[in-house]
Amino acid sequence: MIRLGLRLSVCSGREALVRVAVTAAAVALGVGLLLCALAGVNGLHAQADRGAWLDTSAQTAASTSGGSTADPLWWLYSVDQYGSQAIDRVDVAAVGPNAPVPPGVHTVPGAGEYYASPALTRLLESVPASELADRFPGRQVGTIGAAALPSPDSLVIVIGHDAHQLSRVPGAVEVRGIQQTLANCFSCQSNSGSGSGPILQWILAGAAVILFVPMLILIATASRLSAARREERFAAMRLVGATPHQVSVIAAVESSLAAVAGVAVGFAIYLVLRLLLAHVQFTGAPLAPDDLSLTGTDVLLVVIGIPIAAVASARVGLRRVRISPLGVTRRVASPPPGAMRTVPLVAGVALLAYFAVTGKPQGNGSQLVELVGGLLLILVGLMLAGPWLTKMGSRLMTARANRPATLIAGRRLLDNPRAAFRSISGLVLALFVTSAAIGALGSIVASTAQVGGSRSADTVAAQFCGLTTSCDTSNSVRSVPAGLQAELEGVPGVRTVALIHVDPSPADRMNGVGVVSCHALAKIPAIGTCAPGADVAAIGFFLGQNEAAKSPALTVWPSAGLSAASIAGLPVEAVVLATDGSPSALERARTSLVQAFPFQGPPVVVDAIGPSQLRLLAMIRNLTQVVVVASLIVAACSLAVNIAAGLSERRRPLSLLRLTGVPTAVLRRVVALESALPLLLVASVSIVVGLLAAALLLRSQLDFAFRVPGIAYWATVVFGLAASLAIIASTFPLLSRMTGPEVARTD
Amino acid sequence: MTIVSAPSGVEAGGVILEAQGLVLSFGETPALRGANLSVERGEVLAVMGPSGSGKSTLLYCLAGILTPDAGVVRFDGRRLDDRSEKERSKLRRDRFGFVFQFGQLVPELTAEENVALPLLLGGMQRAQALASARDWFERLGLEGMERHRTGEMSGGQAQRVALARGLVAQPDVLFADEPTGSLDSLNGEVVMDLLTRAARDQGTTVIIVTHEARVAAYADREVVVRDGLVSSTASATR
Amino acid sequence: MALLGLLDREPSHGYDLKRDYDTFFGRGRPLPYGQVYATLARLARDGKAVTGETEPGAGPDRKRYRITERGRDEIEVWLSEPVPAEPHLQTDLFVKVVLSLMLGRPAEAYLDAQRTAHLRRMRELTELKQRGDLVDALLADHGLFHLDADLRWIEITAARLAALAGEVRA
Repeated sequence: MIRLGLRLSVCSGREALVRVAVTAAAVALGVGLLLCALAGVNGLHAQADRGAWLDTSAQTAASTSGGSTADPLWWLYSVDQYGSQAIDRVDVAAVGPNAPVPPGVHTVPGAGEYYASPALTRLLESVPASELADRFPGRQVGTIGAAALPSPDSLVIVIGHDAHQLSRVPGAVEVRGIQQTLANCFSCQSNSGSGSGPILQWILAGAAVILFVPMLILIATASRLSAARREERFAAMRLVGATPHQVSVIAAVESSLAAVAGVAVGFAIYLVLRLLLAHVQFTGAPLAPDDLSLTGTDVLLVVIGIPIAAVASARVGLRRVRISPLGVTRRVASPPPGAMRTVPLVAGVALLAYFAVTGKPQGNGSQLVELVGGLLLILVGLMLAGPWLTKMGSRLMTARANRPATLIAGRRLLDNPRAAFRSISGLVLALFVTSAAIGALGSIVASTAQVGGSRSADTVAAQFCGLTTSCDTSNSVRSVPAGLQAELEGVPGVRTVALIHVDPSPADRMNGVGVVSCHALAKIPAIGTCAPGADVAAIGFFLGQNEAAKSPALTVWPSAGLSAASIAGLPVEAVVLATDGSPSALERARTSLVQAFPFQGPPVVVDAIGPSQLRLLAMIRNLTQVVVVASLIVAACSLAVNIAAGLSERRRPLSLLRLTGVPTAVLRRVVALESALPLLLVASVSIVVGLLAAALLLRSQLDFAFRVPGIAYWATVVFGLAASLAIIASTFPLLSRMTGPEVARTD
Repeated sequence: MTIVSAPSGVEAGGVILEAQGLVLSFGETPALRGANLSVERGEVLAVMGPSGSGKSTLLYCLAGILTPDAGVVRFDGRRLDDRSEKERSKLRRDRFGFVFQFGQLVPELTAEENVALPLLLGGMQRAQALASARDWFERLGLEGMERHRTGEMSGGQAQRVALARGLVAQPDVLFADEPTGSLDSLNGEVVMDLLTRAARDQGTTVIIVTHEARVAAYADREVVVRDGLVSSTASATR
Repeated sequence: MALLGLLDREPSHGYDLKRDYDTFFGRGRPLPYGQVYATLARLARDGKAVTGETEPGAGPDRKRYRITERGRDEIEVWLSEPVPAEPHLQTDLFVKVVLSLMLGRPAEAYLDAQRTAHLRRMRELTELKQRGDLVDALLADHGLFHLDADLRWIEITAARLAALAGEVRA
């Protein structure tokens, strides 16, 4: 039986061989992309894992391996910035000789010592000390090993201190163990430098669903190529006495042959793509080539799962013949797709809408359920509802048909809406994926980027309290010696220094409002302007950037009703430096602030995007590109596969039409309408649903406002549709040749 | 009238296939309305009638391809219509043979593979099955066509290949549905001649559905199907 | 036989009989009066028909003929018996079918019986063909094709019986 199957699929002539080859090619591409996606996920995880130690917190359990860690370690983590690059800074102080050691270094650095990552070492050597190296007290005693770095380009520094000193710094915590991996990580909820925050998980899960499903569908579609021809052949065999099981076996052989060949080639494709993938910087840093690996489970899943999927879909395709040998000849038309098919699609949208209205579901688990469940429902729903939409559209077309081509095309579509939709299903999915991805991620980028970029960043500020600690705490408030202010002003590139004092009235103090003299404020327009006639302004929270709707530069701060002289002695809440805007000046300003006020948190450029945000944005941009490209590739593939199938299916009926006198021009119009109607109809639905899904997801998960995507998106969509139509149109020249009279011969 | 050769003929005894009260509808359209038929072992029976009368449907029911909505089909004493699809497939493979008007051969296989197909499906070794198949080629005037694909043959040759396939497993019953329908007169005559000779040689019962009198003339007796009912006329002459 | 059948339908004058015959069966070959009266006389002689009262008026035209029991029997026998299966039988078959429709007899059954007879003959010829040599086959085929032609006519007539009955009885 298996031998018969092999014989039929391989040795029976050119057409069969072409069929197997095309199926295998489609499977190969799908598998290649799938493997890349899996490797990418693994790589990101490995990268995140390597950086997990940066998220060590007081709750991190003491490690059981390697010696006793009886002594605690003081730990303070912050993210500094050089230019647009983030620097992960960890200040540590060992209490005793048996304190836990951070990865990548031999021992805990002592006071006045630090370890820097190779990239940071290079940076330290290449830029003036006043811009960078002076921020870090001590000298470099070694480099951090690669095992502790998320990426070869990571800028990480571990600075040693005296335990007494560090223990008094607000924010420092005593830890008993170093976080090894992402698992059981309590503090990984924060959007820390390791990039392991919820947004990454969110995006990865979404990308996985969004990429995997179309690929699987491509593979399934390819396996059902020229199902009609195979149906006839199997009907003949069933007549002669082949049992349904025997037919299944033979079909399985053919499908699995193509699938196995496809999987093998797919691995080769993956190996090639892997080289490209390493250059894509998801987290703002390239993936180490070693990270892009496949686990044993991945490989097994693909090698076993894909052929099984191919065989299963072939079996489904031969359902009719398995039931009866007359299943083909006595074609009782399969019932037209019913309206019930739209249920999953509607349910998916409803699910997302529900969460958008009721707010973010609690807990990582249900978040993922919402995301994956909703998206999956919509994806599957689109696949199911497609034929129904095609049916409704063709009904409309037929009812209003004035010309023969429209009537014929409409009727043919009505007769078999499933097949018509199947040929464009890949494209429809790709459009949904693209719309959702660009809709969601584009809005995030737009919202975050809107905050910055409105002006050149030239002001650096160090805020001592009011951000994470209340300004009531006495040890977080500083007084700034007069000499220090002059020294800061003397830093090359710094134009002026302003001090923001703690507001004397308690009510305002709690809202993070400080007071600043208007004289000083007038010299630093980046943080706002005074109300006219005021001497002292009450200035609000200007360092927050996340959801700020407008730039602080545009804010007119109200008068505080105090005099400049009265606030001069008040405790200082923040120090703001206005520079000439050059990058080196900014860095010098930063460095001088860090030197002057150590352990007060990294200075921030006002009205600019923070480093974590930058990382996120870069990651999002890259991911969007990858998702769009991958899904378009999948779409193009599935379109090609289905056009090949559609051509051979159409030969007979079209050539018969031609014989009865229908001109080729009308035939061309028929083919065009047959393809264009479902394409445009379902494509518009999928675009709308994609944008809607994006909006709902944003609303529920991240509270971002949804923005309609820009020109680039619409251009891509139009291009994609036009390309599909062009591909279909390219078959027209073949049409007259293919529908010659000899095709109509009854065999 | 002498009988061509034993052991065919009514005297060989017994009803091999019978149908009682068959009712079958395709959706709204009734095809059979209580057809009764009895087929003797070894006879050649022609089932005639205008198109749409249900004669092909009757044939499919007798062969177990279709299940009637009501009524009973018995083959060799045992009921046929309540067996599973798997059992009926095996029956078609081992005990029945089929020659249809068209669309019955597997175009990707060579002629000899097509003929050997029922044997291969039954699990016979490939070499042995092909050897049995090859015997038929000379018998039916198809020398040299063994390795040809069936798509490359003329209609008459293809029908003869189908005939060989139908008889290769030494079936009890050969079902033919318009076997000469797409052939010209001479090819049709050749096929019918070969069919009846070979069947009678093997003692195979033959049921032919046809609307042509000259084809029905090869049979021992004929029945007429009209509007889903069988009206049997006078009995055999042979 | 045709005239006798027409008499069965209703008693008629010779004049009417000829007219009816020409209408239904003549079709371009009208029956001469002489033949009509000769046949009528023979029928009367054989006891299959009798003359009724003579109408006023001179000459044999005015005699009305009537069918007898014997005549009716003969019609019955003639109708139900299939014609020997020889080619070129349209005329006889044709008459039979039309008459049986006129007289309300089961035309369909007659056609079935005829078909069986034809098929039997065709079977004989086929067997001859398979047994004999090529010349025998040629001869047999000739007969077979003509018989086939008849059978096709029988088929198509059988399909048209209802419409034909309507026309004939009108």
